Amino acid sequence: MDPQPEPVSYICGDCGMENTLKQGDVIQCRECGYRILYKKRTRRIVQYEAR
Amino acid sequence: MSGKDKNLHNMSESESEQEGVDKEGIEWIMNLPDVPMKLPPHVELQRTRVECKADAPIHTDTIQYSGAFASMGFDNSLRLDNFRNNFKIEVIDLKEDDIEFDMIGIDPALANAFRRILISEVPTMAIEKVLFANNTSIVQDEVLAHRLGLVPIRVDPRLFKYSDKDAPNENNTIVFRLHACCERGKPRLTVTSKALTWLPNGSEFPLVSDKSVSNSKPKTYTSFSCSQNTLSKEFSNNPIGPKDSDIILARLGPGQEIELEAHAVKGMGKTHAKWSPVATAWYRMLPEVVLMEEIEDELAEELEKKCPVNVFDIEDIAGKKRATVARPRDCTLCRECIRGDAWEKRVALRRVKDHFIFKIESTGALPPEVLFTEAVKILEDKCERLIAELS
Amino acid sequence: MEHGSFTDETKSTFSMADEDHTLANALRCTLNQDPRVTFCGYSIPHPSDNRVNIRVQTTGDPAREVLKDACQNLMVVCQHVRNTFDKAVLDFNLTKPKEKPVGDINIK
Repeated sequence: MDPQPEPVSYICGDCGMENTLKQGDVIQCRECGYRILYKKRTRRIVQYEAR
Repeated sequence: MSGKDKNLHNMSESESEQEGVDKEGIEWIMNLPDVPMKLPPHVELQRTRVECKADAPIHTDTIQYSGAFASMGFDNSLRLDNFRNNFKIEVIDLKEDDIEFDMIGIDPALANAFRRILISEVPTMAIEKVLFANNTSIVQDEVLAHRLGLVPIRVDPRLFKYSDKDAPNENNTIVFRLHACCERGKPRLTVTSKALTWLPNGSEFPLVSDKSVSNSKPKTYTSFSCSQNTLSKEFSNNPIGPKDSDIILARLGPGQEIELEAHAVKGMGKTHAKWSPVATAWYRMLPEVVLMEEIEDELAEELEKKCPVNVFDIEDIAGKKRATVARPRDCTLCRECIRGDAWEKRVALRRVKDHFIFKIESTGALPPEVLFTEAVKILEDKCERLIAELS
Repeated sequence: MEHGSFTDETKSTFSMADEDHTLANALRCTLNQDPRVTFCGYSIPHPSDNRVNIRVQTTGDPAREVLKDACQNLMVVCQHVRNTFDKAVLDFNLTKPKEKPVGDINIK
């Protein structure tokens, strides 16, 4: 029921800056222009067995 | 091993000569002062000592069978009163985490049972579930979780229960929190076990569920009905935490963060080594070094130099140098003293079959003397369970 | 649990689950020292299964009773070991009080 999914922030591969992108944006870092952006780690709680 | 059985009641060595004499006669003969009630010395040596020859040890079996020496008239059966009389324990050294003690007059089967139980069946608390809220460090989630599992926790496991199928509550779970963050511009941060803080009120991470419950208290991963601080007075004085605060868990570069919750539960070394309460526990038999002949002068000096742990000493008596065995307990059985021609005839390396030098190194959950007592209790419980099953 | 014949009670094999050398060897050792036992031994049919078979043959008494007595003896031995150990630790603590202050252990 959101109008759009929330803007997601991606991390630039080069300078490490967080860029928020919406749907339809050019995939490019705003600071350095690097075109490889990484997604951030999930905020969900992950469970591991300590074995 | 019941030890040398000198209090025989039914048999005597001279029975064969006295056939036909009634029981009273035998007992009268037995009580004569010069009637031998022991085995001949060479057999006694075989029964109580392991001979360590240059190639291999011999007479390594413990002769437990009650009728083993029946033809010689020696009663080998277990007499509880004999065991009680001959059994001794001497504590040599007792530190905070280590103990060294001697057990004299016991079977190797029992000593081994205690060792096995110490390693695998005495329960402890160790981290089992790790809930990651955030981990942007280079150490992967599962690697970090594995390392957390191996951290020894200083808490008495007897205060907790096993969590078989129960929900995690204050009686079976300990919750730790670790939140480390290395800010940008700061140097690298080393995350040690000191960062593990105890949460006596249980988990703080909310359980995400589909129903939109609007309680004042959202459900968390554990259901503690009361704070663990109230469970035992000890907890308020020494809060639960890892035994060593300098265990390195991870290293963070600038901008990296770790936020997790670790749940510790009770378990046994059998399931996973992280639950073993001892760094290790081991025993060895008391070494006995005997000089079969007089070793003098040059030979004595040679012998003294040979031994890497200085078991031998040279005594100067009336101008003559003689070798003596000064510290047989330190012997590591390297067999240097019987290497070379003719040395095996001069020096006899033996081990006493029923004298065990036990060493227990605890990881810190329980003091080592308590660990041993728990191990003995566990063996008793096993016997009880078996008796219950048989009845 | 017990595999024996109904007519001859002096010989039977006891199969125990969730046990291994720890209890079996200690029991075998105690059984051996009982003069009523003519044969006793244990085996582990397969190391992956947690199962032990203990065989007892006696000179007339039912094997089950002899095994129970051996368990009882083992328990008495354990209790004696525990008491002796506790006494020895107490003696050691009395004769050698802790001379080192606790503070110096933390120098790492």
